[in-house]
Amino acid sequence: MIKIAVCIKQVPAYSEGEMDPKTGVLLRGGLTSVLNIYDLPAIETALRIKEEKGGEVDVFTMGPPKASDVIREAYAMGVDRGYLLSDRHFSGADVLATSYTLMQGITSVSHYDLILCGKQTTDGDTGQVSGALAKWLNIPYINWVTKIVKLEKDSIIIEQMMENEEVTIKTKYPCLVSVEQSIFIPRIPSLKLKIAAKKKEIKVLSLSEMQDQNKNHYGLRGSATKVEKIFPPTKVKKRPIVHKTGIEAASDIFKIIQQIK
Amino acid sequence: MEKRSIIPMSEKYWQYLSDESKMLGEAESISFPESEEEVLKIVAKMRKDNIPITVQGGKTGIAGCAVPLRGHILNLSNMTQVKAFIKTDTGDRLLKVSPGITLLELKKTINKLKDKEELFWPPDPTEASATVGGIVSCDAKGICSYLYGDTRNYIEQLRVVQSDGTILEVSHEEMDKYIGGEGMLGILTEITLRLQPKPKEIWGISFFFENKHDVLCFAQELSKKEQNITGACVAAIEYMDRATIDIIQERKEMMTKLQELPDVDTEICAMVYIEIHGNEEESVEQIAEILMELAEMHNSNADKAWAVSGDIEIEKMRAFRHAAAESTNLLIEKTRQEEPSITKLSTDMCIESESFKTIVTKYEEDLKKEGLKACIFGHIYGNHLHVNILPQNDKEYKKGHALIEKWAKETALKKGKIVTEHGVGKLKKNIFLKTASREIINKILVLKNRYDPTRMWNPDNMIEE
Repeated sequence: MIKIAVCIKQVPAYSEGEMDPKTGVLLRGGLTSVLNIYDLPAIETALRIKEEKGGEVDVFTMGPPKASDVIREAYAMGVDRGYLLSDRHFSGADVLATSYTLMQGITSVSHYDLILCGKQTTDGDTGQVSGALAKWLNIPYINWVTKIVKLEKDSIIIEQMMENEEVTIKTKYPCLVSVEQSIFIPRIPSLKLKIAAKKKEIKVLSLSEMQDQNKNHYGLRGSATKVEKIFPPTKVKKRPIVHKTGIEAASDIFKIIQQIK
Repeated sequence: MEKRSIIPMSEKYWQYLSDESKMLGEAESISFPESEEEVLKIVAKMRKDNIPITVQGGKTGIAGCAVPLRGHILNLSNMTQVKAFIKTDTGDRLLKVSPGITLLELKKTINKLKDKEELFWPPDPTEASATVGGIVSCDAKGICSYLYGDTRNYIEQLRVVQSDGTILEVSHEEMDKYIGGEGMLGILTEITLRLQPKPKEIWGISFFFENKHDVLCFAQELSKKEQNITGACVAAIEYMDRATIDIIQERKEMMTKLQELPDVDTEICAMVYIEIHGNEEESVEQIAEILMELAEMHNSNADKAWAVSGDIEIEKMRAFRHAAAESTNLLIEKTRQEEPSITKLSTDMCIESESFKTIVTKYEEDLKKEGLKACIFGHIYGNHLHVNILPQNDKEYKKGHALIEKWAKETALKKGKIVTEHGVGKLKKNIFLKTASREIINKILVLKNRYDPTRMWNPDNMIEE
């Protein structure tokens, strides 16, 4: 029996969303939303592990009440329980505050053997939340995972795809694994589970359920990064190809960034 | 690409000598007008020189309507203007477009319209690159015609360039001869579409069956009784046999959208895809539950039935269904490279007087008897199936052709339709002329003599001259 938590997120379905020019926060009202496509393989991985070894799969998501839709979608795939981390103090969170909130939420519910995340989200796109969450939980973190090799009683063996090599890693539970999209094709929700999902309970966790109830640690206030300026990228018509060494190219890119800033 | 001119045919334009029928034709010249004014100038020139015109849209037709056998090719794919969005006093939402706009572009345009509610245009045939002009000309409908009915319900007005060079405004009441008219009576230069409020909830459900008897009985039950309740309706009921599923899955690598779908289990012999549209989520769920019970009664595992909702997920399901036609076209093209005589060999017949089970069984038995490979998919409602015969050589192609002719004769005897939404074109002309009633053929000839006495439009399509 293995207890698995999967972190998921509701994201805008299309890229036509606007940002608040003052806060730099994405204005989500009125946008069609979907379950982040990179989270689906993480859910699929969790369900396959459960099917092989037995256990429970819970999902956690942070967002407004509407974000419960992605939990229902996870239920339709076969997830056991869903937790929505929702509180007005959680909004506007960056990587630091999001990962902290997730850590508080997950630890307030149970002790999990394995925490699974997708490689990134399609809105924030940082790919950093999973690593930060592992740091808060103080557990081993393995990202770029393309294969679950073996599940043992107290550990997991996985394959990690580095830039030029494939690494096989064995780590003890608890641990956090961030999976690549290629790990599994996610299953399509089942009709029976989709109908049942509507009636299934979703537990909402607000600030009052967290061990740390200091609101300065959450949302915009708890964020370490502040958006200085938002502007659409300049459209460049010419795309010249230049041949340079890595060091020369990095130096040139740095100069260009400085000019833009 | 040259514009606003009549271009002599050359190697550069070879792709305009064929369409998805895989027929190959010939022509003397080609043009790509961008406006009605340019169409008029080209038509005037052709009329003066007595050169017939074959009209093309997206070249997605499978009956060879757009394949020229001589004369000039008038390709309307550059006429993509969206001219006006009109809200009438009676609450209708109308969109005036040029005929070359593709279904894909049209959907994007409608999504961007500033209106209080989300809108859509119900006809949705397989090919997103099909043009609106082509859809109207072939009376193509798509999978949701079960709920929304004929394409004509969603067209308000047409503008037609006639063979004498004049322009005719055709109202909704008078447009029947142009819808499904395959361009035989004039060139559509403007189409006013009637848009509809988009349903708030759409569910797509795929039921899988291990046993042929079970799936055929399930399909029969579905076509017998309506599952609609207040607030939601079944919009589409589609059948795909194992051969179709295999052909689609073999081409997964080439079709990005399909790569997100898991493979269908090998023990599955057929699937039924059903779409439910409605404004009340609870009503949609109620229908889904009724369907689930019915499917379970016919031994389909509801735990393994796919169920999705939301535009993006529905699009994936439709992509799978749409890939049936696309994949068979690709397969025919591949065989054709070895055996040039082979073209698309498929049915578009509709027989309502017999049961779904009887019809599928009959098709399968005949195919087996002739030793022909084929895949069967299509609309369960109205028993409107597309049997795609997949010949490996000229001998099999001829056998397949003869078999389709036999089915057409049988369908005609049972008062069924030989051509429903793909058009007659050139490829189905012989079968159509052999099986259609004298009354229908005479009616077409009377219209042709009246609207195109000099035989300007689409030579060699539909009728024998």
